[in-house]
Amino acid sequence: MSAKDARPTISPAAGVAGMAQLGNKMLTGTRLLNAVRDGDVAIGTTPKDLIWQQDKVSLYHFRPLTERTVRTPVLIVYGLIGRWTMADLQEDRSLARNLLNLGIDLYVVDWGNPSRADRWLTLDDYIDGYLYDCVQEIFTREAVPKLNLLGICEGGVFTTCFAALYPLLVKTMALTITPIDFHADTVENRTGHGFINIWTRSLAPEDIDKLIDANGCLPGQFMGAVFNQMTPMRTLLKYNIDLLDVVDDEKKLLNFLRMEKWIADRPDHPGEAAKQWLKELYQDNKLVRNELHIGGRRVDLGQITMPVLNVYAKDDHIIPPATSRALGDKVGTKDYSELGLPGGHVGVFVGGRSQSLFAPGVAKWLAERE
Amino acid sequence: MDPFEYAKSIADMWAMGGKALLSAQQTAARAMEIALAPGALPDFTRMTDVATDVAEFSRAWQSVMELWSAATALAQTLPGPAKDATVEATFQKLADPRSWLSVTGEMDEFLGRMAEGPRFSDILNVERKFAQVYRAWLTMRQRGMEQATVVLEAWQRAAKLFGAEIAKSAAPRDGDAMLKLWVETANQALLEMQRSERFLEAQARMIRASTDLRLAQQDLVEYYGEQFGFPTRRELDDVYKAVTELRRELRALRRASNPAPHPKVRAKAKTGD
Repeated sequence: MSAKDARPTISPAAGVAGMAQLGNKMLTGTRLLNAVRDGDVAIGTTPKDLIWQQDKVSLYHFRPLTERTVRTPVLIVYGLIGRWTMADLQEDRSLARNLLNLGIDLYVVDWGNPSRADRWLTLDDYIDGYLYDCVQEIFTREAVPKLNLLGICEGGVFTTCFAALYPLLVKTMALTITPIDFHADTVENRTGHGFINIWTRSLAPEDIDKLIDANGCLPGQFMGAVFNQMTPMRTLLKYNIDLLDVVDDEKKLLNFLRMEKWIADRPDHPGEAAKQWLKELYQDNKLVRNELHIGGRRVDLGQITMPVLNVYAKDDHIIPPATSRALGDKVGTKDYSELGLPGGHVGVFVGGRSQSLFAPGVAKWLAERE
Repeated sequence: MDPFEYAKSIADMWAMGGKALLSAQQTAARAMEIALAPGALPDFTRMTDVATDVAEFSRAWQSVMELWSAATALAQTLPGPAKDATVEATFQKLADPRSWLSVTGEMDEFLGRMAEGPRFSDILNVERKFAQVYRAWLTMRQRGMEQATVVLEAWQRAAKLFGAEIAKSAAPRDGDAMLKLWVETANQALLEMQRSERFLEAQARMIRASTDLRLAQQDLVEYYGEQFGFPTRRELDDVYKAVTELRRELRALRRASNPAPHPKVRAKAKTGD
């Protein structure tokens, strides 16, 4: 059999039928896309109230959806790369809504849209400044001695630092897809996983300084491009093959567009904080070595003496599981648990399979420690 | 489709794409040469205060022309397009390097946007700085090509693997199966490429070059700002820094005057722990 015999074979009838099917799909899709309005793809819609603001930082309190089952409130802390709305993407795929439905009292901090004017803000400002003030604000409203923290990704690092610096204020700490050992991407060394770790280590520290000084920040669009590099063919096919697959199905199309909306909302990362993030954490790996200093104090993971739940995604290509799970050997508590969920970095929040595992797992864990 | 014919068509298209890129650079360089020819600009040598700048600019321009010559020489090494390249439309689309490069091209595009500020025609009165900007631009283009070369090699590898895989199978494949095979093969080749030292070094050099270009442009704009009394980027950054530091002081004062509502925190603050 020669190579020419293996060429694709399509009969004329099948070709015409395929063309007709495609034409119909495109027609339906065009109608749907024309009818879609911004409100149809709104994200972060679970009702909440703004209770505190400082500079560009806002603290929200979600309205309860059912009777409270856990007395101690939970504060969700996202990072500066991306937006917390990942935890409330749509009604049927929302960590926030799921937790509220399980009787959790929920707060969330939104870091706003940092600009060049915020280039001098450091991780210290975010952790020991804004986050500390958010926690104190909640204490002024709630008659509780401690707070539950739920950190996500870079926000998980903020939460970890805060819990190590202020263990008396934290009742429990739940982390989600959070890097602790930034060099542990080498543990599994899976192709396509941990690219940001490798990529960041390939940069000279002075080049990071220059990049950020030239822009005044780590541009969100730049990080978006780095993320897209991690899934090259998916990026290439997203707006033709992937979109074509869902374009005539209203529900799937709206899901697709909501995700696109979240992806497009990439705030710039304040400059000095970005230098710390890339150099002190990704390059020098100071957190897991207990060498990171925040607010003039050393972050000692051994000071994390409250119960810890570490949630990781089994197929996370951005934060490989080993980089998260490294926390287990470092904390000063014996009450350390892990919850490995199916899916990837974003799939943990929006994937169908994790909806019945993630929020119920966290709520049960919290209730057992109340 | 014959895999060899397929690979050949890819090579032809790469060559055409590379030549088009270099041709664009040559056109830009020629345009600059005409714009800066004797008589096209005021005689700066009569102005003693800018004579030094003119001399430095001449040297800088010489460097630019050397770079241009090097680029021209590189262009001569690229093969011309084949006369008999014929591929089926579907696979021509799949094999189009423009779409391939768009994967990492997003990064290039962003870096380009970061770098591309004022157009050259706006800055002819600051030749020395202009030459620095232009040189930085040429360096960035060069680094971009170096990175693109590494990426194209990965696509070439993917195309070879794809062709070999097709040749192995006796059974006819439908379009979906072919597409799936191509996506998997190309994805694997690209991911392996991205972890390679060559790619990481090339991208680091590209980022460095684009940053240098942006800084050269900012230097030029600073010059304008100072000349015309506009607030400069540097001055604004100084103001931002002062504001951030004032906010920190304010926060510290607020905490000192309004102790934390949590009794355990107050106790901790008093002991200085």
